[in-house]
Amino acid sequence: MPELMNHVEFRTALENAIKGKSANKAPFSIAWASGKLSRAHLGKWAENHYHYVGPFADYLAYIYARMPAQYVEAKDFLLSNMYEEEIGGDRHTDLLIRFAEACGTTRARVIDPDNMTATTRGLQSWCYSVAMREDPIVAVAALVVGLESQVPSIYRKQTPTLREKYKFSDEEVEFFDLHIVSDEIHGERGYQIVLEHANTVELQQRCLKICEIGAQMRLSYTTALYWDYVANDIPISEIENVEPKVQHAERQLLQA
Amino acid sequence: MPRVTFHRDGRAYHGEVAENTNLVVRAGIKQFPFPHLRYGCGMGKCGKCACRVLKGAELLSEPNWKEKKRLGPGLDEGYRLICQLWINHDVELEQDKIPSEPPSPAAA
Repeated sequence: MPELMNHVEFRTALENAIKGKSANKAPFSIAWASGKLSRAHLGKWAENHYHYVGPFADYLAYIYARMPAQYVEAKDFLLSNMYEEEIGGDRHTDLLIRFAEACGTTRARVIDPDNMTATTRGLQSWCYSVAMREDPIVAVAALVVGLESQVPSIYRKQTPTLREKYKFSDEEVEFFDLHIVSDEIHGERGYQIVLEHANTVELQQRCLKICEIGAQMRLSYTTALYWDYVANDIPISEIENVEPKVQHAERQLLQA
Repeated sequence: MPRVTFHRDGRAYHGEVAENTNLVVRAGIKQFPFPHLRYGCGMGKCGKCACRVLKGAELLSEPNWKEKKRLGPGLDEGYRLICQLWINHDVELEQDKIPSEPPSPAAA
């Protein structure tokens, strides 16, 4: 029987739940980081990514509405996270569209939901479902700790490549720069909320499970981008040469 | 670990941070220099986090395009956007009581 963990033990357990299946290991991410993708591939990524991150404030709004009133700090965090996504500076999705246009696609194509894959639609639906139906603390664990907190490590790896190998300008990759700062804040505050309020064995276990599922969802989404848009141009064997650490079994599972 | 001295409203605050720390991220998670450091968008646009670097400026990274655009001539006066800096060495910073206005387009 699992026991109630202290904050240090619980944080480590959360980090391990996410780490095992980080989206950094997806073939699309490896191809991106190694400079193998074309601008057209990156444009497809943007057309999909918009539908995953575009509604992020909507997801958080559902959690906000269901967060108990006495969890004032948690509610304030969710509200400021929503504000920062939408109107704190430049709207984050506008920066994503700026990048998409630099890749050769258009605003109209990016915002058109017909241009996302079924897997992207699945990830978006899962985010909505979690936000609307899960215990709000478990939902924060899923969306903020499990998904948003991964972003700095992914973009830290990908952003220098966008400048150096793909030759994008600073303005064109601003979307990635801002997330390195803002998502570090959001991810860490998400951890603080979950550590404080997941105060029963059952809640802790549910948070761990949903972090694991969230990381799997993101990995599936990123992996599908490779198979749907890149595989015909860059065979998986070429990706394996770049990153032998990608677990073969993991990829087989996702190809199934 | 880098030591940070932060001046604001005539008072000095001291703290140690891990290497490669962004002080706006720290303030955002309510650790030193919270609650003293004023910041806003975290994306190099609003300029609310701007500080004058009193010591350690030579060890910071070169100003990036956002700092050049937002601070303009303020860079020559020693100002930097704290949200754009990752701290790896001791540094001493001072934040004005009122954030500076962005430079006019001609000056930027």
